[in-house]
Amino acid sequence: MSLLFALLAASPLQPLEDVMRHILNWLHVTIGLPWAWSIIVLTVIVRMLLVPLTVKQIHSMQNMQRFAPQMKEIQKKYKGDRQKQNEELMKFYKEHSINPASSCLPMVFQIPVFIALYFVLRHFAEHPPGGDLGWLGLVKITDHASAGWGILLLGIYVCSQMASTFFMGSTMQKSQRYLMMGLPVVYVAFIAHFPTGLLLYWVTTNLWTVGQGLVTRRLVPKTPAPSLFSRKPPEDGGNGAKRKETPPKPAPATKAQQPPPRRVQKRKKAKRR
Amino acid sequence: MKALSIVLRSLLPWYGVAGAPTCKYHPSCSQYAHDAVHKYGLVRGSLKAAWRLLRCNPWSKGGVDYA
Repeated sequence: MSLLFALLAASPLQPLEDVMRHILNWLHVTIGLPWAWSIIVLTVIVRMLLVPLTVKQIHSMQNMQRFAPQMKEIQKKYKGDRQKQNEELMKFYKEHSINPASSCLPMVFQIPVFIALYFVLRHFAEHPPGGDLGWLGLVKITDHASAGWGILLLGIYVCSQMASTFFMGSTMQKSQRYLMMGLPVVYVAFIAHFPTGLLLYWVTTNLWTVGQGLVTRRLVPKTPAPSLFSRKPPEDGGNGAKRKETPPKPAPATKAQQPPPRRVQKRKKAKRR
Repeated sequence: MKALSIVLRSLLPWYGVAGAPTCKYHPSCSQYAHDAVHKYGLVRGSLKAAWRLLRCNPWSKGGVDYA
């Protein structure tokens, strides 16, 4: 991974690094936050910028409820062949302008932000700015995470990473999700060499993800509502074109039609996968 | 080529920085990048992967798209 940093260090990120430094400076000098808290607020700002995308995704997920019977059918039809099943589902999503998955670009966009922050912190380590570099009196944001109380932060990071993967990975296959949840443990070895401030960013963004996941779970009923009611099938034969005209409005009734307790819904979902 | 595979796979933790490792396309962007580099070579494959990433934005509809 340090190789990756070295590759990316070749300055296309310089402007972004400057922007980050300015924002941090502003938070520290004008707002008067300590550096560590400036990083946390910066993280929150970045995530807030991405909230509209999440809202869009939640709408899409709510919308999906209406297509549940057809989707179930596709899943049944290609039961043995997951590849084919994914393919057909994707086609179906596209046809009806729904898609529960997030797009990669906003995620990838956060990587340069993260790396720029790495460089800012490295710069801080070489030329310490004025003011308090500590966090809760435990760690210094420019120190390596493996030093002193940084270990505690590493532990918090691993937990938060697992939690955020758990919440955001709901569209993944189960085995894949568990694999992803195991990854932070593996990567601790690398991350231990990161400045603690970076870990603060990481933990904050993970906690934000968890919070967002909780909100999403509340807003989107787990089992697509129509599948619970047998009166839906007639719509199967109807033409999709008509439905396509009104995709973005989530039916307000869906939530009310969703009485079964959570546990049952969860089990159902697991079966569907 | 092998090294590049490793680099692509080492991108996995970055998903952690950003959130869910899901993609609205099939195959996912990372798989696509992997396939594209194998199929078209480093330069063209990377360009294709970059273009795919740009297409995988909140305003696209996703779908099936092999390298």
